[in-house]
Amino acid sequence: MATLINQNQDGPKLPRWRRVINWLGRWPGQRDRRAVEDLLKHVHACQERGQGASAESAAGAIGWSARRAVKVIASVEALGLIRSTSKGLELTDGGTQLAVSVIRAHRLWERYLADEAGMPLTQVHAEANRREHDREGGRVDRLDAALGYPQSDPHGDPIPRADGRLAEFAGTPLMSWSSGRPARITHIEDEPASVFDQIVATGLMPGQVITVEGSTPEGLRVAFNGRKSVLAPVIAANVFVQAVPQDAAPAPARSLSSLEQGGEAVIRGFDQGLRGFHRRRLLDLGLTPGTPIRAERVSMFRDPRAYRVRGSLVALRREQADRVHIEEGSPSPSAQTGATS
Amino acid sequence: MSCDTCDTCGLPDDGDDRQKFDGVVALAGNPNTGKSTVFNALTGLRQHTGNWPGKTVARAEGRFTHENKTYKLVDLPGTYSLLSASEDEQIARDFILFGRPSCTVVVADATCLERNLNLVLQVLEISDRVVVCVNLVDEAKRKGIQVDAGQLEKDLGVPVVKTTARSGRGLSELVSKVVGVIEGRCQTHPHRVDLGQGVGEAVSRLVPMVNEVAPGLPNARWVAMRLLDGDWRIREALLNGELSQVAERQQAPAESFSNKMALEGSQ
Amino acid sequence: MKLDGYTPRPVADLLDQAEEARRALGEGFRDRVVESIYKDATEIAGRSVEYGERRRVDLDLLVDKVVLSPIFGLPLMIALLGLIFWATIIGANYPSQMLATGLFWVEAQGTLLFDYLGAPWWLTGFIWHGIYRGLAWVIAVMLPPMMIFFPCFTILEDLGYLPRVAFNLDWLFKKSGGHGKQALTMSMGFGCNAAGVIACRVIDSPRERLIAILTNNFVPCNGRYPTLILIAVLFVAAGFSPTAASAVAAGTVLTIVVLGVITTLIVSAALSRTVLKGEASAFTLELPSYRRPSIARIIYTSLIDRTIFVLMRAVMTAIPAGAVIWLLGNITAGGTPLATHVSDFLEPFAYQFGLDGVIILAYIIAIPANEIVVPTILMIYLGEGMMTEDISQDSLRQVLVEQHGWTMLTAVNLMLFSLLHNPCATTIITMWKETRSLRWTTLGAVGPLVIAFGVCFVVAQAARLLGWG
Repeated sequence: MATLINQNQDGPKLPRWRRVINWLGRWPGQRDRRAVEDLLKHVHACQERGQGASAESAAGAIGWSARRAVKVIASVEALGLIRSTSKGLELTDGGTQLAVSVIRAHRLWERYLADEAGMPLTQVHAEANRREHDREGGRVDRLDAALGYPQSDPHGDPIPRADGRLAEFAGTPLMSWSSGRPARITHIEDEPASVFDQIVATGLMPGQVITVEGSTPEGLRVAFNGRKSVLAPVIAANVFVQAVPQDAAPAPARSLSSLEQGGEAVIRGFDQGLRGFHRRRLLDLGLTPGTPIRAERVSMFRDPRAYRVRGSLVALRREQADRVHIEEGSPSPSAQTGATS
Repeated sequence: MSCDTCDTCGLPDDGDDRQKFDGVVALAGNPNTGKSTVFNALTGLRQHTGNWPGKTVARAEGRFTHENKTYKLVDLPGTYSLLSASEDEQIARDFILFGRPSCTVVVADATCLERNLNLVLQVLEISDRVVVCVNLVDEAKRKGIQVDAGQLEKDLGVPVVKTTARSGRGLSELVSKVVGVIEGRCQTHPHRVDLGQGVGEAVSRLVPMVNEVAPGLPNARWVAMRLLDGDWRIREALLNGELSQVAERQQAPAESFSNKMALEGSQ
Repeated sequence: MKLDGYTPRPVADLLDQAEEARRALGEGFRDRVVESIYKDATEIAGRSVEYGERRRVDLDLLVDKVVLSPIFGLPLMIALLGLIFWATIIGANYPSQMLATGLFWVEAQGTLLFDYLGAPWWLTGFIWHGIYRGLAWVIAVMLPPMMIFFPCFTILEDLGYLPRVAFNLDWLFKKSGGHGKQALTMSMGFGCNAAGVIACRVIDSPRERLIAILTNNFVPCNGRYPTLILIAVLFVAAGFSPTAASAVAAGTVLTIVVLGVITTLIVSAALSRTVLKGEASAFTLELPSYRRPSIARIIYTSLIDRTIFVLMRAVMTAIPAGAVIWLLGNITAGGTPLATHVSDFLEPFAYQFGLDGVIILAYIIAIPANEIVVPTILMIYLGEGMMTEDISQDSLRQVLVEQHGWTMLTAVNLMLFSLLHNPCATTIITMWKETRSLRWTTLGAVGPLVIAFGVCFVVAQAARLLGWG
């Protein structure tokens, strides 16, 4: 997979945004191009949230000095990518296009880093920030295809398509969600990083179904993944959710790691968090839904454990077994005999 | 670590081999199926090992003879599947598709056949010149597992041979079945996986278009499936005409061999 | 999807349609494809596979109970490893001597032939006492242990035991950010680090594979055992009664090996938290059922694939080393050989690390092949312009301790340095071939050297502060 992406091949036709980039090429240095793209990204994000972007907000978000922010804004304005209005900075059509292409690269890289490279969620944002500026020759499109045209990044943000189309930002803050109604997490804000780290530590991730059970002075009482926990307001404010049809909400599942030695069960599916190469590998080994599985061996240090699946003995670490959901069930006769072989 | 020239380093040019040998046989299979035992039993010491070009994946090649004809045997990396796009799987997949082996032998473990059939069924989607070798029959027997080769042959639509490679049992039958497939004496009707509603429909919509672009492709269905999966290698092969070439050569392999033999006879 | 203007219409249509269809199918596409394949596989297998009576006693189950047991697992593993070491060291001893005798006899004949032909002394010396002797030494020291070690290793591999070692130890490697299969590559490294680096291919994930490649050097290979054993016998075991001495020597070597394993884990952890960041990724390990190994395969893989391969590479690097040693020993300036000048120059530097100039020089010359460290040290000490064959233990101890002031500190640091220092040239080249990256190869070569000097420095300074050594 990595080999597919590292390869640098020149895509034939230049998309419109590339022409802008080429024009920007007159600018001295890579750093300035990065600065332009960072600014455009920031203005785009502000517009999405309905806030006005300004030199101060840009300086704060990107970590520039106020002087540098003003300087960059002036140059970008001169390039015709943004304009100043009474409500603050605004992207022009060209600016929007460029911003969306950067966002596309950023979110695809995040998806890649999380799914295929196995990078912790807390690190992907920073790494994607580094990689998003290199969009030479169809690289991003290859990435898109190799990942199977994913629709959202690991935080739940929609990924713009190659032609610039971008799905609407969907979701309500968890804070304002009524209790008792199950909701699906659509998005977790990845900035500021310290808050995001905390959110990841609680085990929340996009795609999960969560139910608000009430609020206390310390925060929201919620239930997800068969667990109950209290979310501090600063965390809950950064989690966005969407309604989920009542019947589609899955019953709490048991994880494979809870299966005791000698125990048998049937695989129900995988956790949302098990993606990319890891997910494919488990599927390839035959851990498909409906397959009987039996916990057969425990290693010296209790982890990993070996499971009998379709007649073969496969070892999985606890982290992986955690993400495989099982349900009670009697294995089919063939598998039963296979299990004892 | 990863090879940067992955897609471009291509496959070993077997143009010469086609001249030197009466056929090229690829050996695929899951890890731990005794695949290398089969390889060693067939080739003996007439083998050499090296790397796949530009990769750090071991490649073993050897030859075996049958009725005065010499065949080249290429040991592919052991894989569970051809879908995960790991380096090993790409090599195996690319060789079966673009290396145009005269026959692909898939070695399966009789003790856990079900898991091994995953790879068998995938290879059957790519190529119809396949022989399935159900190995480790003795071990299966010890565990009370019996494999009905006739039934399996009927279901898979390709020859199935039961072997115990370590003691050499079944290998001569394997060779003669392989030669049968190479020489076209044995007609195969490979099993096609039922892809279910959504995927199946999407694939069948694409297949006529694939046939239009690369007529004569024996695995248009599989190509369509790979395109749906965003497989860039297949996409490029479509764009640069590599797939059409595969199709052209697939159509007349028996002919090229008889031509070659006629040439040899005249010398 | 962007295409160029030359793309034929049908191809472009096909690709567009495929992309649209894929978007419509959504993210569950791959899951669904694999599920359909397995659905058919289950049906087909159900029709053709019949499960009969299984035998009452399942050997696999019994063996696994012991091998994977929390109580017997680890001791069994150590015992097996120890057994292989023992067989390798003891078993190789006699053939090594025979080989040495034979090869040095050839050297004597060659020298005579050159003398008969009237070749100048320097040509005879350079060819026979330099290049040839280096070569002979490497072959005599390396070949017999490898011919014992690699087949033993391959038998364990074929039996199905090694995947279980990886299974048992994975937890340790997970904690240090590596992969359980790193245990396999390490055991391979006991035979030869270059072979160990190649063995790292069994690890799928690039990150964990790199960690295994970069740390393989911390398990001492066959080429380094002679040094470790000799020092252990001469210094650590010397004070004990003859009966206890061999056990003490063995214990010392084992301690060094354990230190190497600990270093591997620590360095792995450090790498995975710095330059090779990332979560320990996909761990899937199949535990095959136990199988009787196939003799032909063992002979082929272990002897042709591994032994010959490693030996050829070692031979290629031993030739220049032999030449350099001879030149250093025979080119004189002001009456003393170059080797002495260089080692005198290195002396003050070496002192800080509890070593001496001769040891450092020997390690510089021995970069191509670690086997020649001890012979080179002896050559310089004894002032003979060529590598020396074994002399008796007592006189050796006398030379080292009384004439050249070796202490226990020197011995300990020499063993530590031998364990931790940079990999040999063969391994470095192999690292480059496996990673194709100058950066990682450099790290793999320089990193251990820095660690070796660091550890030796700390030990030497601490020992001197305590008034010891």
